[in-house]
This record gives sequence, structure tokens and C-alpha cells, in this order.
Amino acid sequence: MHYLLDIPAMIATSYVLGFLFYGFYRQYNARIQRRWGPSIFQNLYDNLKFLFKSETLSHGPMFFFGPMIIVSGAVTTVLFIPFLKDSIWLQGFSQHGNLILIIYLFVLGPLGNALAVGSSGNPFGVMGVTRGLTRLMGLEVPFFLGLALVMLQYETVSVHAIMAAQSSIGEWTLVTNPIAFLVILLPFIASMNAAPFDVVGAPQEVYAGPRVEFGGRFLGVLMTQNMMLSVGKLVLLVDLFLGGATNLFILIAKAFALFLLITSISAVFPRLKTEQAVDFFWKVPLGLGVVGVVATVWLQ
Amino acid sequence: MTALVKLLFLAASLSPAATLLVWDGALAWPLFGDVTLLFDLAPLSAFFLLLVALGAPLAAIPMLRDDAEWPTYALYALLLVGMQVLLLAGDFIGLFVGWEIMTWSSYLLLLRSPRTTLATAQSYILLNLLSAFALLGGILVYYSLTGGFAIQAVADLGPWQGLALIGPLALAFLIKVGTVPLHLWVPCSYDEAPDTFSAVLSALLSKMGIYGLILLLTLLPGGLAGGLSGGLGGLYGHLLDGPAAGYVLGWIGVITSIVATFKAIAQEDMKRLLAYSSIAQVGYITTAIGVGSSLAIGGALFHALVHTLIKLLLFTTIAGIVLRTGLRSFKDLGRLIYRMPISFFGVLIGIIGLAGMPPLPGFASKYLIFVSLIDARWLLLLAAMILSSTAAFLYCYRLIYAPFLGHANSPQARTATEAPWQYLVPEVVLMGLLVALGLFPGLGVRLFVDPVLTALGLTPLGSPSWGELATPYGGYDGVVVMAVFGGAFVVVTSLFFLLRGRMRQAASPYDLSYAGEVPDETTPLHYGAGMGRELRRIPLVAWILGHSTQGLYAGLVRQTQAAAGLLAGLYSGRPQVWILLAVLVFAAALTVQLLAGGI
Amino acid sequence: MYRHSHCEGFQQDPTAQELGLAGPEGGLGPLEQLVAWMRKRSLFVLAFGTGCGAIEMRPLMTSRFDAERFGIVNAATPRQADVLVISGYLAIKTLKRVIRSYEQMQEPKYVIALGSCTINGGMYWDSYNTVKQVHRYLPVDMYINGCMPRPEALIEGFVALQGRIARGEPGGYQRYRERIDWYKANQRRVLGDNMLPDYTYDWYHAGGIA
Repeated sequence: MHYLLDIPAMIATSYVLGFLFYGFYRQYNARIQRRWGPSIFQNLYDNLKFLFKSETLSHGPMFFFGPMIIVSGAVTTVLFIPFLKDSIWLQGFSQHGNLILIIYLFVLGPLGNALAVGSSGNPFGVMGVTRGLTRLMGLEVPFFLGLALVMLQYETVSVHAIMAAQSSIGEWTLVTNPIAFLVILLPFIASMNAAPFDVVGAPQEVYAGPRVEFGGRFLGVLMTQNMMLSVGKLVLLVDLFLGGATNLFILIAKAFALFLLITSISAVFPRLKTEQAVDFFWKVPLGLGVVGVVATVWLQ
Repeated sequence: MTALVKLLFLAASLSPAATLLVWDGALAWPLFGDVTLLFDLAPLSAFFLLLVALGAPLAAIPMLRDDAEWPTYALYALLLVGMQVLLLAGDFIGLFVGWEIMTWSSYLLLLRSPRTTLATAQSYILLNLLSAFALLGGILVYYSLTGGFAIQAVADLGPWQGLALIGPLALAFLIKVGTVPLHLWVPCSYDEAPDTFSAVLSALLSKMGIYGLILLLTLLPGGLAGGLSGGLGGLYGHLLDGPAAGYVLGWIGVITSIVATFKAIAQEDMKRLLAYSSIAQVGYITTAIGVGSSLAIGGALFHALVHTLIKLLLFTTIAGIVLRTGLRSFKDLGRLIYRMPISFFGVLIGIIGLAGMPPLPGFASKYLIFVSLIDARWLLLLAAMILSSTAAFLYCYRLIYAPFLGHANSPQARTATEAPWQYLVPEVVLMGLLVALGLFPGLGVRLFVDPVLTALGLTPLGSPSWGELATPYGGYDGVVVMAVFGGAFVVVTSLFFLLRGRMRQAASPYDLSYAGEVPDETTPLHYGAGMGRELRRIPLVAWILGHSTQGLYAGLVRQTQAAAGLLAGLYSGRPQVWILLAVLVFAAALTVQLLAGGI
Repeated sequence: MYRHSHCEGFQQDPTAQELGLAGPEGGLGPLEQLVAWMRKRSLFVLAFGTGCGAIEMRPLMTSRFDAERFGIVNAATPRQADVLVISGYLAIKTLKRVIRSYEQMQEPKYVIALGSCTINGGMYWDSYNTVKQVHRYLPVDMYINGCMPRPEALIEGFVALQGRIARGEPGGYQRYRERIDWYKANQRRVLGDNMLPDYTYDWYHAGGIA
């Protein structure tokens, strides 16, 4: 019974926060570019419009199941991330999961969707998938290294335990282990598919990349999962670095602060090529990560 | 007659299972002097015998379809005998005999493929003979240290004696495992072996090297159980929370997996890609053995089990594709998903396991290894492992995209039919095993891994329930993950159908967004051949792909020759130079002694 | 070769001019109204730069005129687009690509043709290879005249289209579906051997469930 309320609540929270955050993102970008920009609900309109398209083209069973897998992956991921600290609500199944599992769940959906992209037979889509996997190869190394620093610091892979260990601002991982945060910050931007690492779906280069063949309701479904998964990622970072949140308002405030930081970084940088991005990840964030390892692990 | 031979063959393939089930008690057979041959089923060897018992019949069933070639069957049976002798051996003589039987029977089996070239055969037998000689050398060192052949921990061992013992044995086993740069024989022989036999090479034979490596650790004083004070750590000190020598082994494993992963991405041939992926996966196991903690050895064993199942599945499925199309290159296939659906699911399950994605057991074993690296505080090794583990997604995707998705690139791919039942039966069994193990990683740990860990004197991992994989750092529940994902999938799909609007099937595979153009069969739409080529623009990857192991050895030869040339300069034809040199050496020696105050 | 009387656009076909379909009986239900409002608020544009009119799309989309205020953004591929903008004169060679792009869009979909050339050929009125009346080949929902129409005019056209969408008036895509044979006959007349393969449109005949 508890689950019956908790699960829809988590999904709804992540969806609502998702379209509001992305609506804000579009407004914020618009103001930076000195224009008015769309309403803050624009992403909801876009998403519902696509979900209510009266025609949807499918390229066969595997193509159909791809978007279903990616949404299931997003829902599963969100349900394994604890949203609140010291609360029985918005926990989902997070007691049965851990940080490494969540990191792997993040890519589960996109990999399933990659099958659908391949089965559509459009070479631009597969090109986009290859770029995405290449970028993933670049970003995961520093990202995981930064998270490993956190896991080592608390000697656990449980998100609950990491969250519980940060009870005051002075104990936030952001304060106690700032280098880990710096290491994961840029790879995290890439994992949110934000500029300057957004070459995967570049419309002008690979024709929208993995999404090239998806239209109608499929595209709506892809937008939905993207918004939910982004919120999931933000909440995970809040849990790990900003001490978690005891109620929904604190969660929104912290997630929003993080989102604002990421948005501000990504708003002003031009897009990198795939290999530039990978090379960058292996030099700057990974170099910083190695420094972090030497400083916090070796020299202790 | 043929049927009888096949029946006999099938019975022979079940012999490891029979041995595993009925063997009880040790068998000692006095050989000469005070040397006895010992055959015993320790939990460690029982684990690896279990792999053979699982793999042997599943790999044998596809072989039944070939025309009854009794030499193949006989050699395969001999290979199984060799592996059983090797695993049951309680002393080094039996181990060596088993090792040699295994090497030679697999070599002769390899030669039975029409595709095997001279270079492949040479590299296979020469490197494996080197491995056997190194093993022999290690055994002799062991005898000189202990005065016996029985496999047990050496009582006391200095660092140099340890090096003399570990060096040759590790070389022997690492060749079998196929670590870079000793992997020369692996890709070509896995590729050119008979299609149904490659599965055995990759799934079972490479595991014998893993068995050897773990066995090697038990030889050290205190064995694995000594924790930080025993084993490798006791001999060569510690680095952070692990043995320093294990750190070296860990890097050997990780560099192997990184190099092999990028090589795999660059391959054009399906079997060669799988061969490189084998090297990479076994590299993870090597790393875990280097860590040597209870978590790591548990992860290594679990990964050995998972890798055996996955590689049997993938090699058998690919053999089915090669059988039906006669093609093995990525650029020639495509769109087989509608023609070979069961094979598609075989490869799908296989690559999900290979990539280590959560619902399947590939994640469980990688999870254990990752946690063990964090536990040992070897984070740089962890980062390097993540690199190869993530790059593996690329070749996994290629393995499923190029043959099954996209557009058919050849007439054979357009007319292929599903693989015969002899291929499908093992595939379905293996898929079932993988899914079951993914659902119940806790059960897998409890049944297969914990007995070995207990026997090695390590803390068993334990598991509170069948589905839950528990570590001191936290765990996860396979059943819950699978149930949540499955539930979400069902709910999402039904919700999707509740939405209004028509679904329309594309009328043609060429109905693509293609910048307003209408592609047809002459348009190059299949991206399978070129996939991963753009990776070469990344400097590190370009460097790895630009260098081959052959090149490494050629460079070594060049350096050796240059050094020899430098020495040869001293040997001139004129006697005066000789006398001058002798005088100089004499004078130098006198000076040194004078300065040292010797005179 | 080219004869004046054969030139596309001079044969008037009065029946084709106003092929209106009946609107929904008794107006829209509440859900339909909501959906129509969402559709109105979110228009993804596939700007087909067929002619010089493409130059007017850039200021429309960027900071100066900021069409994103109205929920109008660019789409990368036809599959994701709601509005096809034919910007400027349309050569027969380009017509084939435009038709292909239009048929790949997912319904509901709309066509906006801008510039005089799309209405009557404009300064290419006697050209042998310029389409004079786009609505003979594709169901144009909204013409925006001018040579070139300024971004303000474009915005007005888009807003007018949004009004029609919100009122639930039948879109051109329904007309295309109803009268596919007529459109295809016209297309075949100018494209000739260069006609698109059958599979690209025969699902229209199968009632959309092919």
C-alpha cells in the first residue's frame, strides 16, 4: 500500500520537476541571449503535444520496444534513488540498490534505445549512438573516479548511508571532499547531455542523432524519460554532495541550485567534437581525479 | 554407426559432470621413490570442474551437427580428460600431465580447421609450449624448495626465492590467460579454430589459466588466508590496503583489458572481436586476483563463471550465423533479427552480460570487483577498469547492430534461416542460466563462490537471501531490480497503448529520414563496417590501435640487435685493440681496488 | 520542350482552390480542446530552405524576433516536425524532396508557404522549372505573401495558424489524406519518371493502417 502511493509520487515528482527545470533552462538561456523565451511550462506543452500526436511511425517490433525500454530504465533509475533523508516517503526501492547500481541503471535505458535506433536502419541514428557511447567512455572514467572517492570516504556504496553521514553543512561532501565534486562536475554536465558536450544529438551534424527516426508519441516518450532521468541525476548529486534533503522544498532548492550551476556553465560554452570531449575528460577531470587520489588516498 | 559415435561423444562430454558428482575421496598412486600421484577434488578445483561440466556438453551439442569426424570427437574427449586430470591433480606432476594433454589435444583440434594458417598454428603451439616449459621450470623450483610435488603452501619463502617460484609459474599461467603482451596466440587461434570449438577455447581453456593463478596464490606462505600479512603482501609488502605485488598483477590485468577492448572495437570479424573481448574479460579476473581479498577472489570466481556462460553463448550463436550465411565479417551481414530471432536474443543476452548491465550476472561480478578495488583503495586501477568496461559498450553494440539490425548487406544475409536446433538448444539453456543467475546472484554466491572462499581460508561473502548480493559496503537485490524493471516495462507499454492515435508500420526499410532523399538498396546505409573508426581521432586510442604486439616484439628485436651491434663494435679484427682493452680493464680494476683501499 | 500553355500554373483548376473539409460536429470536447491548445502552444518547424525566403527564418528564430515565445522552435528532422515551412520559390527538383519530407512528418502536420513565388511563381512566373502554385502538390495551410515577407509577417502567419489549430479547424493533412489521388496525379504530372517510389505514399490508400 505504501509502495502504491510512494512510486507514483516519485515518478510524478521527477516529471513535474523535470519540465519545470527544463522550462526554466529555456527561459534562462533566452534571457542570456536577450530575448523573452517561452513560458516555463513550454516543456510540458511540447511533451503532451507529442504524446497526443495522432500518428506514429514504427519500424518494427524492436523499434517499438526501444522507447519502452528507455522509459522503463528511467523509471527504474528514479525508483532506486532516495529522494528524501530520514523519511519513509519518496524512497522507492532504494533500500535494495546502491550507488554503483544506479550509475549502471543510468545507461541501461539509452543502451536499450540504441537497439531501436539500430533497427530503424538510419545510419545517422547509429552514428549518434556511436558518438554517445564514445562520449560515455570518456565521461564515465572521471565520473566514476570522483564517485569512488566519495564511496571510499564513507566506506560504503549505499546512498542512504552516504546521505546519513552528512548531517550539517560542515559535513556535506561538497565541503569535506570538494575535489571529488570538481572531478565529477564536468562529466556530470556531459551525462545531462548539456552543452558543451551535447554533440550526440547535434541537429546540424548527425540529423538529431539517436532520435532521428523517432516521431509522434515515441518522441514524447523520449522527452518524458529525459526529463525524469535528469531530475534523478540531480537528486542523486544532492544526496551525495549536498547532504540530501529532509523535505521536498529543500530538495527542490538544492537540486535547483545545482541545476543553475550546470546551466550557467553550459550556457556559455560552444559545442565540442566527440573526440575533443573525450580527450578533455581524460586530461582535465581525470587529471584532477588523479591529483585527488594522490592527495586523499596515497598521502594519508 | 555415425549415431553410435555421436552418442559416445555426447556421453564423453558428460564425463566432467559425472566426475564432479561421483568423485569422493582422494586417490593416491605411488609413482616412484617417495613421489605419489594425488588426485583430489578440492573446492577450488571443484568450482573450475563445474565450469567444465557445464560447458563441455553445451559446446558438444553443436559439434554433433557436423559430419561425424571421429578424430575431432576423440580429440575433444581427450581434451576433457586433460582438463579433468589438471583440475583433480593434487600434485604438480598430475597438473603438468593434464596441462600437456590439454595443450596438445587443443592444438590438434585447432589444426582441424581449414582456416588455420601456419602462423596461427605456430604461435599457438610455441607460446603454449613456452607456457608448459615455464610451468615445468616453476615445478622444479618448487621441488627444490619443498622437496616434494604435492600442492600446498610453502612454509617459508624469501623474496628472491619467491620470485624464482612465482616468476615462471605466473608466466605459464598468464600465457594461458592471454595477458598483453603474451596474448599473441589468442585472437588468431580463437578466430581460426573450428567455429564450434572456439567456444571451448574461450570459455574453458582460458579458465585453466585463472585456476593456475589462484592456485599460485595458495602456494605462498599463509596462502590467501593470511590477509594483509600473508600471501603476496607478506612477501613483497603492501600498497594501500592490498599486496604490492598484487598491484602489479592488477595493472597487468587492467592494461590487458584496455588494450584488448580497443583492439576489439577495431575488428572487422565477429569471432576476432569476441576473441579480443575474451582477453579483456579475463583481464578483469586477473586484476581481481591481484587484489586477493575475499571480495576480489569472490568477484573473480563469479566473473569466471559468468564469462564461461557468456562466451559459450556468444561463440555458439556466432557459429550459427556463420553456418547459415557463410559470412563472418560485420560489413557483410545485417537485418538478421527477423530471420534469426532466437540467435538475436542469444547475442542480446550475451552482450548485456558482457557489458555488465544490471539485471544480468555480469553486473554482479563486476560489482564485487569494483567494491574490492574500493576496499583496497586502489582507485586508479578502478578508473582504468571503468575505462575498459565502458568502452566495451561500443563493441557490444557493434556485435548486435552489425549482424542483426540495420540493412542486409549481402544476398546471404537476406535469405538466411534460423540456426539448427543443435545450436539453439545450448543457446536457450545458457540464456536461462544467465537470467537465473542475474535474478539470484545471492544464490550463485552461496552455491558456487562461498565454498571455495571458505576452503581458501577467506571470509565467505554470504547472502541474506537468494536475490541479494551482499558486501560489507552494501549490496543490491537482483530480484527487485528485475521486478521493478519488468513492472515498469509492462506499465509503460500498456500506458502507451492507451494513448490515442494510430501506429503505422514503415512500408519499407528504406522509409528513412534521409534529408528529403529516398535511399534505395544502392545507398550505403549500413554503418557496421565503419563503426568505431572515428575513435582513432582520440589520441590515446589512436596510440593503442597504432601499435601492435607484433610491433612491440619487432621493436624488442631491433633494440636487442642495436645493443648487440654496440657490443660487436668491441670485437674488431686487430689484436692491438684487444690488448689495449685488456690493459684498460686491468688498469681500471687496479684503480678501483686502490680507491677502495683493497691493496 | 517548354510551351507556354503547358507551363505549370497556367491551367487553372477552380475546384482545387478551396477544398474545405467540414469542421468537427458541435465543436471540440474538453479533452480535444486541451489537446488542441497544446498543439497550438508547441509548433516544431521544419524550415525547408527551398529559396531565398530561408533567410527570413533566421531572424524569426533568433533573438530579434524570438519565435520561441510562441512555442515555435526548429526541428531537426521531419519525423519531429509539426509545421513544414516552404521558404520561397520551389523548383521542381526540390519539390520531390519537399513532398518526401512532408510525407515523413507525423500527423497532425501543417504547411506554411511563404513568399509570392509559392503563390503564383512571383518573379519566376514564366520559369519552366518553378512551381507556381504549391497547393496543387501539397496542402498548404497558410500562405504568407510578400517578396520577402518580413519576420513580423511570418509571426502573424504563425499566429493565424495557431488560431486555426486551437479552433480545431481541419488541417491540410486531412485534405491531403482525402484527396491523395488528386495530389499524386498533379505531382506525377510535373515529376514524371522522377516520381517517388510507391511505398512512400501507398499507405494513404490503405487507410493509414498498412
